[in-house]
Parts: sequence; C-alpha cells; structure tokens
Amino acid sequence: MATTTLLSPAELAYLHSTLSLTPPIRPDGRTATQFRPLTAETGILPGTNGSARICFADGTEAIVGVKAEVEKTRLSPYQDRNGRRQGSRRKGPAKSKQGKPEDSEDSGEEEDGELQDAEVKGSNDWVEISVEIPGYRDDDSSTVFLGTMLSEALLADGDFTRRLWINRRFHWKLYIDIILISPPLSYPLPLLSLTSHLALLSTRLPKLRSEADEDPMFDDDWAASTFIYPQTGEGSKTSATTRPPITLLVMAVGDNIIFDPSKEELAVADSALAVSVGEGQALQEKAAEEGTMEVDASGVDGKPGRALRLLSVRTIDPPSRLTPPGVPNSVNASAWGQGGAASKNPDARQAETGDVAGVWKAPRGGMKPAVLGAMVAKVLEKGGVADEVLDGLQGVELA
Amino acid sequence: MTSLKRPTANDQSHLNLSSKVYVRSTKSGKVQKIVREVYLRQDIPCSSQICSNCRPPANAAGQVSPPVLSDKPAGTKAFPQGHYLVPDTNALLNAMDLFEQSSAFFDVIILQTVLEELRNRSLPLYNRLIGLTKSEDKRFYVFFNEFRLETYVAREQDESINDRNDRAVRQAVQWYNMHLAQVKSKRLPTVVMLTDDKGNIEKAKQDKVPAVTLRDYVGGLEDADRLLDMIAESRERGISRDKKAADFLYPEYFTMSKMMTGVKGGMLHQGIFNVSPYNYLEGSIKVPAFPKALLILGRDNINRAVDGDVVVVEVLPKDQWKEPSTKIIEEEAITKNENADGDEGEDLVTEKERRALQEEVKKTHTSSSEGRPQPTAKVVGIIKRNWRQYVGHIDQSSVGSAAKSGRKQDTVFLIPMDKKVPKIKLRTRQVGELLGKRILVTIDAWDRESRHPVGHFVRSLGELETKAAETEALLLEHDVQYRPFPKTVLDCLPKEGHDWKVPASTDDPGWKGREDLRGLLICSIDPVGCQDIDDALHARALPNGNFEVGVHIADVSHFVKPSNAMDNEASIRGTTVYLVDKRIDMLPMLLGTDLCSLKPYVERYAFSVLWELNQSADIVNVRFTKSVIKSREAFSYEQAQIRIDDDSQQDDLTKGMRTLLMLSKKLKQKRMDAGALSLSSPEVKVQMESETSDPIDVKTKELLDTNSLVEEFMLLANISVAGKIYEAFPQTAILRRHAAPPKTNFDELANQLKVKRGLELHVDSSRAVADSLDACRDPKEPFFNTLIRIMATRCMMSAEYFCAGTQAYPEFRHYGLASEIYTHFTSPIRRYADLCAHRQLAAAIDYEPMHPSVRSRGKLEAVCKNINVRHRNAQLAGRASIAYYVGQSLKGRVAEEEGFVMKIFSNGFVILVPRFGIEGLIRLRDLAETEPESVYDAENYTLKLSGSRDLTVELFQKVVVRISDAKDEATGKRGAKMELVKVI
Repeated sequence: MATTTLLSPAELAYLHSTLSLTPPIRPDGRTATQFRPLTAETGILPGTNGSARICFADGTEAIVGVKAEVEKTRLSPYQDRNGRRQGSRRKGPAKSKQGKPEDSEDSGEEEDGELQDAEVKGSNDWVEISVEIPGYRDDDSSTVFLGTMLSEALLADGDFTRRLWINRRFHWKLYIDIILISPPLSYPLPLLSLTSHLALLSTRLPKLRSEADEDPMFDDDWAASTFIYPQTGEGSKTSATTRPPITLLVMAVGDNIIFDPSKEELAVADSALAVSVGEGQALQEKAAEEGTMEVDASGVDGKPGRALRLLSVRTIDPPSRLTPPGVPNSVNASAWGQGGAASKNPDARQAETGDVAGVWKAPRGGMKPAVLGAMVAKVLEKGGVADEVLDGLQGVELA
Repeated sequence: MTSLKRPTANDQSHLNLSSKVYVRSTKSGKVQKIVREVYLRQDIPCSSQICSNCRPPANAAGQVSPPVLSDKPAGTKAFPQGHYLVPDTNALLNAMDLFEQSSAFFDVIILQTVLEELRNRSLPLYNRLIGLTKSEDKRFYVFFNEFRLETYVAREQDESINDRNDRAVRQAVQWYNMHLAQVKSKRLPTVVMLTDDKGNIEKAKQDKVPAVTLRDYVGGLEDADRLLDMIAESRERGISRDKKAADFLYPEYFTMSKMMTGVKGGMLHQGIFNVSPYNYLEGSIKVPAFPKALLILGRDNINRAVDGDVVVVEVLPKDQWKEPSTKIIEEEAITKNENADGDEGEDLVTEKERRALQEEVKKTHTSSSEGRPQPTAKVVGIIKRNWRQYVGHIDQSSVGSAAKSGRKQDTVFLIPMDKKVPKIKLRTRQVGELLGKRILVTIDAWDRESRHPVGHFVRSLGELETKAAETEALLLEHDVQYRPFPKTVLDCLPKEGHDWKVPASTDDPGWKGREDLRGLLICSIDPVGCQDIDDALHARALPNGNFEVGVHIADVSHFVKPSNAMDNEASIRGTTVYLVDKRIDMLPMLLGTDLCSLKPYVERYAFSVLWELNQSADIVNVRFTKSVIKSREAFSYEQAQIRIDDDSQQDDLTKGMRTLLMLSKKLKQKRMDAGALSLSSPEVKVQMESETSDPIDVKTKELLDTNSLVEEFMLLANISVAGKIYEAFPQTAILRRHAAPPKTNFDELANQLKVKRGLELHVDSSRAVADSLDACRDPKEPFFNTLIRIMATRCMMSAEYFCAGTQAYPEFRHYGLASEIYTHFTSPIRRYADLCAHRQLAAAIDYEPMHPSVRSRGKLEAVCKNINVRHRNAQLAGRASIAYYVGQSLKGRVAEEEGFVMKIFSNGFVILVPRFGIEGLIRLRDLAETEPESVYDAENYTLKLSGSRDLTVELFQKVVVRISDAKDEATGKRGAKMELVKVI
C-alpha cells in the first residue's frame, strides 16, 4: 500500500518541515492526535453473524463480515476422547502465559473445578482472516502483512479464541473477511482494524442449548443469540465490558508523534508504527474479579477507567523510506552504487548526496528507541487517542 | 455516507420489504444463520364472498378460484350476525378433532402464521388441517397474513416468538374486521379469534379484537357436551399446576442433545419400543448394537413409553438384569380398583404391582443357572411418539355411581382394545352415554406426575359388539384406510365406466405393443366368489415336446398411471384388506372388479409371462409381453379340481389344465428339494348365512391340488419377473426378500422339542429346517407336525419389500421359498408392490418409458416402507376379523374341542384349538374357585398343580377345552373363552 505520492521533493521537504514544528501543522489542519472523521455502521450484511462498514472522510471505505461455523475440535494424541490430557495433568500453556507459572508438582492435586476452567482454551486456527485490497493479489506481501498484523492483535492473548470454545469436542470457527472497497488512498491498516473491531463487537453466535460435552444444539431463535463480546447496559446504551483490540497507526516526524497519518504525511514519516491495544480484562481474570469490578465501575463518576493493554507493536516501512523516483543510482542503496556518471564526477556526486535545504531526502537509519517508547506511551495514555477512538466506536449502534 | 443497511421492518420508507431471521441446524451438524427476505403485498384476497374489494386470484391458465368463505356464515348467540373463526395455534393443537366435526366449525380462516407454527409442533395435525382446507364443504381458507402488508407484524425487541405470533393473529383478526367493515352490508359477520391462551384473550380485549376461548365458544354450540370432550385434556389447565418435584412419578427424560450424543457415542441405544402381549409391564427393544432385544421391565423403566414409540434406552447395570417374565400380567387385573380421579399421594408402583415384581425377583434368584438373566434397559427419552388414535371402551369400575346420570365432567379410564396400550385417562361429560360403547380416543400427553396417559374423546363408533362398530374398530386399530375414494381419485377412472371395452380395432393406440393372445385357451382359478381376478393361466403342448405355459396378469398399470391421484391413494393404501364379510379395496371397484379383473368371456388387457418348459418343468426360455386375452372360464378351486379329475372331459382347455397340474407338481418338488419351507398358520374359513351374513360355522381351509397349481405358477412368474427387472434396474427394482432368521430365534423351540419329545431341530439352512420339521411327527397325533410348523413360523422373520439398491445380492434371498430373488407381480389389483413391478417390467421390455417416480430410489424406498407396514396391518386386520367372527359363530353355543398347549407361564398357559384356528389363554385362577397351588418347572416346561385341582400341564400336550363365547372384560372384545375340561 506504499503508494507513491505525486509530490515533488520540494513539496515533500515542505511537508516534512511543517510536521516537524511544535505543534505540528498538518495539511488537513488536524492536531497531532486527531483522527480523521469517520462514519460507521454495523449489521449491514444480514447473512453474516456480524458485520460492519466504516468510511473515512478521505473516501476510503471498508466492509468486514464475520461468519461462524461449528467445527469439531481435533484432539491431540495426548488427549483422551473427552479432550482431557492423558498422563501428566499439566495445565495447558494458556494459563502459564498469564504470567502465573504453575508449579507442576502441585498441579496433580488440582480440583476438578479449576481443571475445567483451564480446559476452556482456544487455538489460533479457529480464526481465519482474509484481507482483500483492490488492485492487490491476496498473496501480495503487503496484503499478507496486513492480515497478519490484524490477526496478531486478535490472537495475542488467547482471550479471543477462548470465546469460541463450545465444549471439549466442539468449537466455533470464525471466518473474518475484511474487504477494502475503495482504492487504497492511504495506508488502510487503521481503517481495517476499526472495521474489524466493530464487526466483531456486533458478532453474535446462536445460543447453545445442549449441555456439557454433548453434540452442540442451538436455539433456532436468532434473537436469542449471544454476542461474542457480551453487552451490558440497556437500550441503546449497551456496551461491552471487554472489546476486541484495535490497531492504530502512529508515525514520528522528528520528535513529533502524529496519529492517523494521511497518505501524504506518511510519505515524509521518519518512522511508522502499528500499535495494537486491547481493552478490559481477559475472560479468566474477569471471572475472578467480578465482584470488585462492579464497585469500580460505578465509583469513578460514572465513567470507568479503561484498562488498556498493549498487545503488539510492529514497525512499518513508510513510503518515505522507499527511494523516490528520480534518485540517481549513485545514491540509491538498492542500485549497489552502479551509477556510472556520478562515480566519475565527484562534484556531481556531492550535489546529489549532500543535504540541500528545501529538497526532500529519504531518511536513513532505524527508529530511535526513545521515539518508539514515546509513541507507545502516547497510545496507551489515559484519555489518549486509543481511549478516544474506543469511545467514539462505542457510540455506534450494534445491530 | 448513505447507509447500506437493509431496512428494518419498522422503517417506514421501505414498507413492502422485510426479512425473517433464524438459525438453522443441519443434520450434518452445521449451524447457519438464515435470512429470508419477505416482500409484502396488498393483493392477497380475504376470500370472503361478501367482499367486493378483493380480486380473487387466477392461476396461469386464467382459471379464477372463487372466494371460499360464505357470505352468510352461521351465527351464534354471541355473534348473531354470523362469524368467521380464526383459531390460534393452541386451539388447533388442543382441539383438531373439533374442527373436523361436520356439525360446526365452518368458515374458518387459517392464518399462515398458525399453519407454520402447527407444522413445527405436530406434523400429523398439520396434515389433517391441510386435508380440511382442501375440503370444499368445510370452507377453510388459508390466509397468507405474513405476506400481506397490513397484517405483517415485525418482531419487537425482547419479544418472544410466541408473543409475536399471537400478536400477528390479533393483527390479522383486526384487519379482517376493518376490511369487511368497508363493505356496505347489513349483515356483517364478525371475525373472531379462537384461542386457549388467557394472555392472548386479555390482550385481545385491550385491543378490542373479538376473541373467545375455545371452551366458551364450544359451550355455546349445540351438542356442547359431546364437543367439549374433544378438547385435549392436558393443556387445558395451562401451566398453573406447578407441582413439587416430589410429586413426579416418573424420571425426567434426557435432553435431545444428550440423547443424540449418547446414541452416536454408542452409550445409549435407539429403537422401537414393543410391549409384550402377555405382560404389560414388560417391553422389549431391538437395537442395532445387540443381536437380541433388550428387556425393559416395570413402569419406572418403561417411563411413559407407549408401544410403537421410538425411544432411547440405557442399559442397566448387570445386577439388574433379569429373565423375561414367565407370568401373565394384565393391567386390568392388577390396577383394577384404581381411582381415575386421584393422582395425589399415589405411588408410582402400587402395592400389588410391587408384590408382582418381588415374585419376579424371587423367580430369577431361585432359578438354576439355566435361566440366565438377560440384559435389561430403561427408557431415558423419546425421540418420536407414535401415538395414534386408539379404540377402546370405558372401564365400568372407574365410573362413579353419580356420574352415570349427571352432566358434570368426570374422569374415567378408557381400556384400549390393544392390550399393549396402557389405560388412558379421559375426562368426559357424557359418561352415561359412552358406557358400553366402542369409542375412539387420542392420547394428548403423558406428564411426569400422571400415572396414566391423558387423552380425549374423539368419537363414538357405536354399541360394543355390534358388527358395524367392531368392524370399524378393527379397521381403525390396524390403521386401514376405509374411507370412500375421494372424487379426485374417481376422476382418474376411464370415462366409459363399466362400458369400457378393449378397442375392436387393433390400430387403436391401446393395442400398441400388445400381443393378441385372444386365441389362447386361458382360464382363471380362484376362490369361490372371487371378483377381483388378478391372474389367468394357459398351457399347450408344443411340437417339439415342450410346453408353452402362460401366466396372464391383469394389466392394472394401463389404468393407473404413475403419480396421479388414484396412484397416490393406492400407494397409501398399499393393499386390499380382506375381512370376513368385507373387502377394503386398494383400487376403486370399477377397476378392481371389472375393467382390470380378468373376467371370463370378455377381452381384457393383460401382462403376460410366457415360458417354454420342458418335460421336467425346466425353463427353456421366457418372455414377457403386454397382451390382450380372453379368458374362457373362471373356475373355483373345487370346480377346477372336479374338471381335472373328470376323465370324461377331454377338451383342450381341460387338457391344458392337466398339463399345468402335472408341471406344477414337478415345480413344487424342485422347490422342496431346494429347501423351501412348508410353513403353517392356522387358517379357517367362516361360513356365513347368505341373507343376514351372520356366521354359522367355521371350517378349516381345505387345500386342493389346484390351489398348489395356481401357487406354483404364480411363484414361477414372480421369480422370472424379479430376475428381469433386477437385470434392467439393478438399483431400483422393487423386490421381496425373506431374511434367514437368526439362529437364536429357534433356541427356545429347539429346546422345547428336545426336552419334551427328544427331537432335534436343525436350523443351519432352510433345507435343514424343512427336513427337521418333516421329522417332527407324532404317529398318534397327526396335528403335532402342524403345531410345530405353526410355532416355527412364528420364529421366522417376516418377508419384506425392498429396493434392489438397498441390499447386497446375497441378501435378496427368499428364505421361505428358497429362491435367490423374488418379487410380487401377480396381484396388482390388490397389492401396490405388484403395480410397481408391472411398471418396471413394462419399462424393462421397452413397452413404455420409465416414469420418474418409479425410477427414484428414495421414493421407492418410501413406498416399500409403507407397503410393508400396510401389508402387515392387513394381515392382522384379517386375522382379527376372523377371530371376531369365530367368536360370533360360537354365540350361544358351547363346544368341546381338542386343543394343544403352545406356551406355558407360571400362572397360566396358552392353548391352540385347530378346529377354530384360535388361541386362548387359560389362567390358573380360572381353573378352580380358589387358585390352585402351582409349581412351574421352566426347564421341563411343566406346570404341576395341586390343591384345589390336581393337574399336570405340559407343553405340546393335547387337552380338551370347552369353548364358549364370552366378553373379555379387559378389552371389551367378544371372543372365545376357553375352559379346561381334561388333559389327554
């Protein structure tokens, strides 16, 4: 999606310098932390379990549909028919990931009730994400990268797949189809992430009627179906206590951290980062702390503090790092210094490689750790952008 | 951004589009969300003859269907202007019988909402309702309210489906009233909602929708008492009766998903529940997982299953395994003094029952290692109820003395005719009238807190023991379709009626592909008085010394074309049912007894099988053809025998018959050599007085050579045809098989013979069985052999129709006939399977193309399944009819006859009387005033009596019994009652 812009080196240099000011001046007049306005709706695809559509003001638009299927859980050879582990009664990795390493000596004496809980665990292949960007093959590296980033955020803590567990023998398999329906006018990651977020929020699964490890049977009343992310509250004010993750695109120009960059802004970024944040607690923890949760919720003047968690961070190669057109081979790293004319003429070489004020030159070198830390901190900040975005999305009616 | 969302129903800008969302679970375990778009329209007519606004719909051919609802509907006290009824689903569920009444319930609007809900709740009721909507005189109209804009109702947030549907009904009623009000008429009928739901009534009142409860409405009709009894019992009181858990008499059923998981996992077993005819507390279930049936003992374990239900059982732990009972336990005797009213405080197992069970346990414990306990099981859930309507009579003793005269509602027990069905609790206001009548009832429910199933009255068949009532009862009990053929069926008959003739000109299309066999000397041989002549034969010598033999079968498939109304009716009836005094035809009379029947002296279409047989009756070649024949004579078996035996008759026809007889004997010998069984069942014939058709005497059927003559050639034809259609259609050919019985079936009989007579029964092959049956002879007692044959027959499997593709070739075998392949071809007038075979054979010889319905395996399998059941029912009905008439012929007489002991229980024994072909049970308590002491020796099949009567009864023993006619108090059937006179 690293579409090259049609800006001249001079224009790029100008853009870069305005974005480096304090506070930065963005071409569309937004503040550094301001998102592009968007419109969103859910439930646009009646045949899906959940769907959403988001339009950014710049005209990019995405649709996400979520379909669920019942699938038989494949048992590993170490498990018996009921899915219990044979031999050693060690807990699954899900629990130890929670940062509570278990003393395997003791676990033999675990009580059944807790064992049950540990068994509710999902597997990453219960979710299949497909991304489609117009004009790109679905096995294009950029498309695959997008898909990977989105699924990485979703699967990071294992909480999501646990929601797909039906019983020891069956689970839901979720197909998340993400389609960008406009041309990729800007890097579509935030758009796709937010749309997926909404689609998952609105995803409902038929209500289970069978018990325990029976072959699952479901209520045929769609109105009785339950949200994957349970809703609380009444009427239009419903909200989920935990919500799917969102992935935000953040870029840095100099010391400025700029959110939701447009295509042009990204063309002059020093570095760009995709930060995935999750909200609320994982299922297990929630169950344990249910009692205290409620007290908290009503305590802080009606607006509970949002518990944001960092799920993943990925650096993205912004187009600014690509060699813009018209760069002589002598300075083009990817041309391996084969520029003939320039090497013979040291003057010309100097003119091409040297920094010239007012002429854009692609930044070189990696991201500074301090900048990276600042970017992540900015995302997770209380009342920061992630909070703001989540608040905004909360207002979307789920249908 | 403009929204891309589908409009919701509440959205005013998209009035005519809505959608329906639900979850569908498929058999393969897929779960899908289904969204159906609903396009709402305004041209669905109300179909009232008053209304001038609605245009009646026309079909593609431009035929307009006229409005259904009358313009002058009947009025009641509450609605003097006349009324149309709109029942809700509960009303139909509880009182479908009411709607079928011919005295009331006309002009009914069936809403689509209700119809769909009914289909989900009860398919049989749905089919009955569809039948009603098709009947012209009842004026039932199906209004598609879900598709009409004004009556469509969108489900609201948090509204249950039931509430939504109720609202849709009210909305439709309201619309109807408003719609009709537009018509300027003085006598505007009211559209009234009929419901049983209190909440619905209240809401209707709020919305000012005319509504009335089922009871109030029926109460206002004439004949209210009789009609009120037809409302289903169970739901009437609603859910107000929430009982404490302690009051539940029966264990709860498993959930459907639990059962399905269990059955799939092999931990639970599914099968059809059968009740032992001798012990109502003992059932058995044959499940695929085990070779032998599982026993289900006691009320608790039977857990509300009724004979015929598809149930899921769980095997009980080994310490609860038992022997099958050797005792006769009749519900009547044990639960005699129960009070139908009182359920409270009643234990599940009454004291008497418990005692009976204790004896059982004792029995099991004291018996030697020989009597090995068998696996038992308990019912944990019911997949499908196979409740039908039951015929029975009211238990006199359950009726309070006051009730007989009073009009108040009373609870009584109905004792079904079928001993396998438990007593049914019935609430009725007309006890006085129903006493002593045969009545038809339906079971509504069997709740956990109710000891007996609860049912409601459907109709009365008439006085007990009147011929009409008993015959109808018998037909109902065996599910025989005996209603007259509907008009649509009769419309399929040839227009010429009885004047139909084979076209004179051979250029006529009817002659196409037919061979002219009118020149052959063909005759038919049938029982006396036979009107539906299926088959005729001929034989003549060929110049090469061989014989040409022809079997000519009525060409029914010429008249009954596949998939028309007549064909459908015939496929449902499956077979003609022969009762002693009555015949219930599969095809209308015109065809059966005239146009198809191969009557003598007239030309008829036939389907002929022509063989060339050599001197030793081996087939040289065979061909099949449609033909036209002219039978020269219709003989009875006796007449034919006399003619053959009369040496003075030397005409060609008689010579042909002699050839046939000679060949048939050779065929029979060959069949016997191959191991065909000669089985037996006690067959008798009731002689009737011609005027009053009262039975006067019973005779055992005589078998003449001519019987066997016809039989042999029919078998030969069936076998030849089976081979041909299987060759042509290896997947779909309709065949008949008789599976070899599992060896264990013969265990008991073999043991009995060994113990009592020192005879061996070899069961390795049908040949071995045939030989050892031949060896079972008692020089002093010629009937002994027949007795053993009768008993052996009962150990066999029953033969069945099947589709060739459903079985492997070795499974095609007909065990009894020792034939590799077999079908039914020779009686198309009275059996539907034969008709199918005709069509397939016609296609196999390229006479006509195969109709899709005869080609579709799925459809043929359904046909096979149905005719197998019908065939069995027809046999049972026929036997029951004979039993009834045997009883009638004994009326006022007492006969002493010889009989044989067939089966011994610890408290009684069963005796077969060959003279009348009847079996009777003699209980010990009937032997003397006080029940004699008895010692039952199960290993030697001996019952030693002492005390009030000294006697030893053994199996196979010959006895003399006094037979008189008596009414069986338990079933209300009049039948032969036996008393033991002496043991020989």
